[in-house]
Parts: sequence; structure tokens; C-alpha cells
Amino acid sequence: MTDERGNATAGAGGPGPAATTRLDDAALAKLRELDPDGRRSVVARVLIAFESSLARWLVQLEDQRIQSDPGTVNHIAHTLKSSAGSVGATDLAQACADLERRLRASEALDLPAETDRLVALGHAALGAVRAMLRA
Amino acid sequence: MLPSIAFVDTNLAHQPGVLLVDDDEVNLLLTALALRERGFTLVEASSGEQALALLRDWTPDIIVLDALMPGLDGFATCSALRRMPGFENVPVLMLTGLDDDASIARAYEVGASDFYVKAPQWSLLTGRLHYLLRASRTRIELERSKSKLARAQSLARMGSFDWRRQGGGMLLSPEALRVFGFGPQDAVTLRSLLRMVPQDERCALLRLLHDSLRQNSVLATDVPIVLFDGRQRIIHAEAEPEFNDHGQYAGYTGILQDVTERRHAEDKIRQLANFDALTGLPNRRQLLWRAERALEQARRLQHQCALLLIDLDRFKIINDTLGHGAGDELLVEVARRLRACVRHSDQVMESALEASGARSHRALEAVGRLGGDEFVALLPEVLDDQDAARVAQRVLDALREPIFVSGHECFVTGSVGVAIYPRDGATVLDLLRNADVAMYSVKAQGKNSAAIFSPLLAGRGREKLEVETALHKAIERDELVLHYQPKVDVHAARMVGAEALMRWQRGGRLVPPGDFIPLAEETGLIVPLSEWALREAAKQARSWQQAFGFADAIAVNLPSRLFERSDLVEHIHQCVTSCGVPHRVIQLEITEDNLMKELQNVIPALHRLNEIGVEISIDDFGTGYSSLAYLTTLPISELKIDRSFVRDLGITPQSSAVVTAIIALARSLGLRVVAEGVETLRQMEVLHRLGCGLMQGFLFSRGVPPDELQSWLEQTVLPRKAAWIGAASAIEAAPARAAVAAGGRPRRSR
Repeated sequence: MTDERGNATAGAGGPGPAATTRLDDAALAKLRELDPDGRRSVVARVLIAFESSLARWLVQLEDQRIQSDPGTVNHIAHTLKSSAGSVGATDLAQACADLERRLRASEALDLPAETDRLVALGHAALGAVRAMLRA
Repeated sequence: MLPSIAFVDTNLAHQPGVLLVDDDEVNLLLTALALRERGFTLVEASSGEQALALLRDWTPDIIVLDALMPGLDGFATCSALRRMPGFENVPVLMLTGLDDDASIARAYEVGASDFYVKAPQWSLLTGRLHYLLRASRTRIELERSKSKLARAQSLARMGSFDWRRQGGGMLLSPEALRVFGFGPQDAVTLRSLLRMVPQDERCALLRLLHDSLRQNSVLATDVPIVLFDGRQRIIHAEAEPEFNDHGQYAGYTGILQDVTERRHAEDKIRQLANFDALTGLPNRRQLLWRAERALEQARRLQHQCALLLIDLDRFKIINDTLGHGAGDELLVEVARRLRACVRHSDQVMESALEASGARSHRALEAVGRLGGDEFVALLPEVLDDQDAARVAQRVLDALREPIFVSGHECFVTGSVGVAIYPRDGATVLDLLRNADVAMYSVKAQGKNSAAIFSPLLAGRGREKLEVETALHKAIERDELVLHYQPKVDVHAARMVGAEALMRWQRGGRLVPPGDFIPLAEETGLIVPLSEWALREAAKQARSWQQAFGFADAIAVNLPSRLFERSDLVEHIHQCVTSCGVPHRVIQLEITEDNLMKELQNVIPALHRLNEIGVEISIDDFGTGYSSLAYLTTLPISELKIDRSFVRDLGITPQSSAVVTAIIALARSLGLRVVAEGVETLRQMEVLHRLGCGLMQGFLFSRGVPPDELQSWLEQTVLPRKAAWIGAASAIEAAPARAAVAAGGRPRRSR
């Protein structure tokens, strides 16, 4: 599904803040630069890889709602930050970067709540990716 | 993710091989896609462990490592691979987060070459990779070049060193350590190196080092050292001062090289170029150089110097009889003795000449060998002629002692000519030429002496040169003539033969033989001259035969060297046959001295000549040292009593005794005997009484042109008008005095 601006959007049903999210056009354009004529299906291959990777990380992240291990959360945030940024899941990437920074700085934070937020943004991004792949 | 081995390209120069390690499959995929797009070949690994496993079989051109990974993270992987052989210098790019300062610092700590903040800025990443690859290639080339330099230095026995002024001390490269015989791990200080320099050289070296340090100047010097195994080497050191960023002098950096072999080769070349290989004395080139320097000094300091030209007498005889090996032995001994006659210096350094002050030219004094048996003594300063003459006398004395060569005791004397600068010449060549003139004057006067040059001698020398040149052309210009002196049988009052005497009509005057025959012998011109004389004598015999029935022999004087020529017999044969006269019309005279000197070489020719009918007469008999044993076996026909005995006949009883003995000897050997130089009737009478009837001399006729001889015969002898004929008849008339007539036909040969 795409909105009127042509950005990819996720369907309703996701958690609050990112119930509707879109992949960033600029990031997608950057991906397309690697395969201008689309013959190697680079965008699709990257999105599929991201979808599979994100799905795995979300399972682990949901576990952390209960376990709340800062090291594991930090590693997941670090990994997702980069790949989410690459596919244009900007909100997720930003949130990962923010959390990673705060964890590294040993700020006092509510880790289960932050984890919840990441899970919600992750699902939103997953929705946007799937929507894009379906399109 | 499994590595895409299929993408590995070995053509690294065009498609650098990259090992990309990232646990995040999205990043791995994206980065791999981007780099492949830009010409790299990729092998991907999703963990540090997998990466290390891949590196066991493959060395990529560059490794891109994600810093944070589960399990073996990028830092641990980088540490591990740096410990693997061959991976010490492979470039590693660590991928870090934007604000991850700790990771950046750690990346360098574990040996990463650089870091890159993860971002999809692929051009930047590619640029960074190319930069790292280029740096790596430069580093590899540098390493190779360093290794080549080390190999080259090792081959050239060369090494480098640094000396720091404060604290650093002496640092030698492994190659430099090897030059001194040390191992690469040995700790060496400047002090320990200085201890390897021999004591007597060390002070000079220290002075040089101090001077260089004080003036911050470039150092270049050769240093002799003794290695710990006792070998002596020469080390060339070149160093230049180094300055720090503030322009302050900080130390020296330089190279060392073992130049022992080169120095030995140079010494050898210098030795060969400047010294005579046989005697070790300075050669002509070195001697001329020294003489030039000596003259410069003499000119500057206003003193005299002397050149003594020393030529051995009789050296050729020793060389010819005992062989060249013995000749060389003799020259070596002569050189040793001559060296002791002067303050001989083997080596002269040009710098020393300038540095040693006013007396430095004394170091030039030496004896040198010009070549053959010719030596020169250079005396750079003499007070007067006597000073030089004293050295000349010392030389003569030194040579006079017998020399043992090849088991023989040889007696060699020398002739010395002296020329003094500036009086006898302004240049070395002038002095040498004039010393030569003086030396030849000694030779001419009997050798074994010394003479100082005088302009008078030079005049004689020039004259001699002119005569020699003219003599060369005398034959072709038809300037030579033969005069003939008759041999007479006093009893029969008739001519029994004639001796041909060579004369040279030069510029309207007749040159006597004494003025040109010795020169002809010296120059070898005597050979063509003698051959010409034989032709002329044969022609004359033919002419007289036709004119007045001449049937006797014309005697031609030949030097011994002509008897040694294998073509002498053939030549005489041609001369007589072309004139249509028998061989016996030619008689050959050889002096007793010549005969005895070359006896062994001459005997075969004497036999061959005798066989074809050419008689041999021994001239100047009684003056030499004939071996009587030889006389009994030689194929000779005639002895000629030397004029010196005839001259004193009737004056000293000894002369009569000698003449009597010669006549008795000749008679007993069946040889004819002829008295030469008969000038008075008194001499004729005595000779006649002693039993010699064949004579030659002014009493009868001097040597005259051929037509005059015919006139003499026709006008004096045949009409019996000469005084000597009357006197002879008177002697004949007194039976009591009748002597046994000598002059019967001798046996022709034995």
C-alpha cells in the first residue's frame, strides 16, 4: 500500500506510535542506485533480508521485555540501527541509535518500556517492508 | 552466510580481493553489493570465527571488519589475525558507529589500519579502501626495496649507521654490524669500534672526529681496523650531520663500507703503474714524476739537484751466456745495492710534499729503473758537483763487489753519467739526455767510471749522431771505397796479397776507419758495410786478375757477428761467382779478440768457409787471450803479428821474444805468419832474421786506391826500385844470417 505521496506505508493494527509508517524515499533511492535498471532486484533482496533479520530480532527483543538485559538490547539496537537506516525505516533506526547512545552512556531509563517502544517501531517497519514487498 | 568463494579473483591488481565480515546480513549484503559494483571481489563472512577460518587458506588484499559482533567481535578478530603469519601488514578497515569513540581508539589498539563509520556512503568507503590498498602496496614496495638494499649492502660489505649526540649513541644496521664482524644482536658502542682501530691510527682518527663534530662538517675517511679474529680490514666511513626541526645539530648519519679489497686493488694498480715489477724500484713514470717535483722545489728554493744515469757494463754478456733468469736475478741484486747508495724513499705522497716544509723534497730521493740495465738516481738536493760525484762513486763501489747469480760469481761494473740542475738542463728530459751523454763518454773511455756532463761532451754526442745518420746513407750514395795495402814477400820481393781497408769519402774528405767503424759496429751498420766490402773485394780481384794476372787473395776484415750469420758462406759464394773469380781470392780476417769472444758461435762458419776455399787469418795476434788448445784445432791459415810488437822490435827485448814465440808457434802449427805495421828497414831486418818473411806496412806501401796499387807494383816492385828490396837482398846475401824463410804455402786446413 502506498499513500498519496507514493511512500510505502504499513497497514493499521500495529502498536501506537507507528501504527502507520513508511520507508524513507531517500534511503530507497540510495538502494536503487546500486541497481539502477533493477535487473538484479537489489531492493527486493535487501528488503527480504531485512524482513527476515528484523523478524528474528523482534522475537529476541520481545523476550527482553521480561529479561531486560541491557547488553542484549544494546546489541539488537546497534544492529537494527544500521540495517533499518539502510532500508529507510527511519523511525526505527533513530530509536535504535537513541537507545544505544543512552545505554552506552549508562543513563537511567525504563528498559522494558524502551524495549516495548522498539518492538512497536520494529513491527511498524516490518509492516512497511512487507507492504512494499507485496506492492 | 557462506563465503562467495566463486567471486575470489586472483588478479588483485585490477580487482582487489576484500574479506567483508559483518554479522548483520543486511549490511553484509548491501556493502558487498556496493563494493562489487565498484570493482572489488568479495568474500563475505558473518562472524569473526568464520573470517579467521577463511584466512587460513586465503590472503585478501584488504579486510573490512564490523567492530561489534556477537562471539568474536571485530577487535578480537583483528588481534587474532595480526598474530597469524603473513597477516602482520594486511590492511584492516574497522567499521564503527558514528559516535563510537571508544571503538575507534580500540580499533587502532588491536592493529586496524583505519576505521570507517558505517553509512551507505559507498563512494567514501571505496575511496577509503583504495587509499588503504595504495598505502599497503607502497609499504610492500618499501619493504621489498629495504630488503633489496640490505642484500646489496651485504654484498657490497656495506651498512648504515646513526650516531645521536645525546643519549642515542651509536646505532648500526645489521649489515653494518656484519662489516665489523658482529652479529645482528650484538650491542656495539662507538668506543668499542674505536678500540678496533690500531693504536697508532686511533689518535689521528679521534682528531678527525673531533674536528668534524666541532665544525658539523661531512666526514669521509678510510679507517684501518683489526677484527676480533685478527684480520685487518679497511673501512670507508662517510657521514653527514643531521639537524632537528629547530635546526640544532642532533647527530650523524652515514654509511660504512669494507673497502679492503678495493684498496688492495688500488694499491696494486698504483704499484704496477709506478714501480718496476722486477726490482720494485720506481719505474720511468714514477721517476719522471719525482724528478719534476724535485725540479719544482729546486727552482723555488734555489738549490741544485742531480740526476745520475747508471748503465751496467757487460750486462748483455751475462744475459746472453747465463740466460734471462740469471740476468733478472742480477738486476734485482743491483737494484738492492743501488737503493742503499741513496736515501731511497719508496713512497711519496703529494700532500706530504706540500706539508713537510722546506726539506720535504728530500723524500723524493730514490733510485729507479728506466728499463733494461739502465737505472737513475735522483738526488733532489746537492751542494755541488762533488756531492753528486760522491754518490756516483758509491754506486761504482757498490757494483764492483762480485754478484752471485745462478751459482756463478759475476763481476759487473757500471758507467755513471751525471747531470746537475740547473746548470746542465732546465727540464727533466734535458737532464736525462745530458746524463746519457756523460754516461756514454764513460763507456767510450773504457767504462766502469763516472763522468759529469759538460757541453763539450754534448758536442761530441751531436757529432756522433750526425755521423751515424750519414753513415746510414753512405752505401747508397756510393761514398764508401776500399783502399788496399799489399802484403809482401820480402825475400822474393813480390806482392803476395792485399788487405782491403774501408774508407769513407764524406764531403770531400776521407774519414779514417777508426772514426766510423766502431759506430758502425755499435749500430749494426757493420753488417751491410762488410757485405759491401766483400762484393767490392771480389770485383777488385777480378779487375786485377785481368790487369796484371793477380792470383793472390784480398783479405777483408769481418766482425764476429758476421760469422754468426748463416748466410755468410752463401753471400761470399755469390760475390765470387758473379765476378767469375775462385773462392780463394777472398781471405777473411777476424781479430783475435773477436774470435775468442764468440768462439763457439764462429767455429761452424770457419769450417764451412774453409771447405769452399776461403782462408781465415787471425788479425792483431798476440794482443788477446787465445787458447792455444783451440788454435791447434781451428781451421785457420794465417796469423798476423800485431803492430804493437813490430813497433817495439829492436827497442825492447820482450817484443822480439813475443814475435819469436808467435813465429815458432805458427811454424809448428803449419800456419803462415804475417807481420803488420812494418815501417822501418830495421824492423824488416829483425823480422826477417827471426824467420818472418811476409810483411805489411808503410815501409812497403800504405793503403792506396786500387789503381795506385797497380802503379806501385809496376813502378816500384817489378823494377826492384824500392829501398826495402835492396835491403832484403843484402840480408839474403849474408848466409850466416839467413833465417828460415817463413811464407811457404801453409796447409790449407786441418
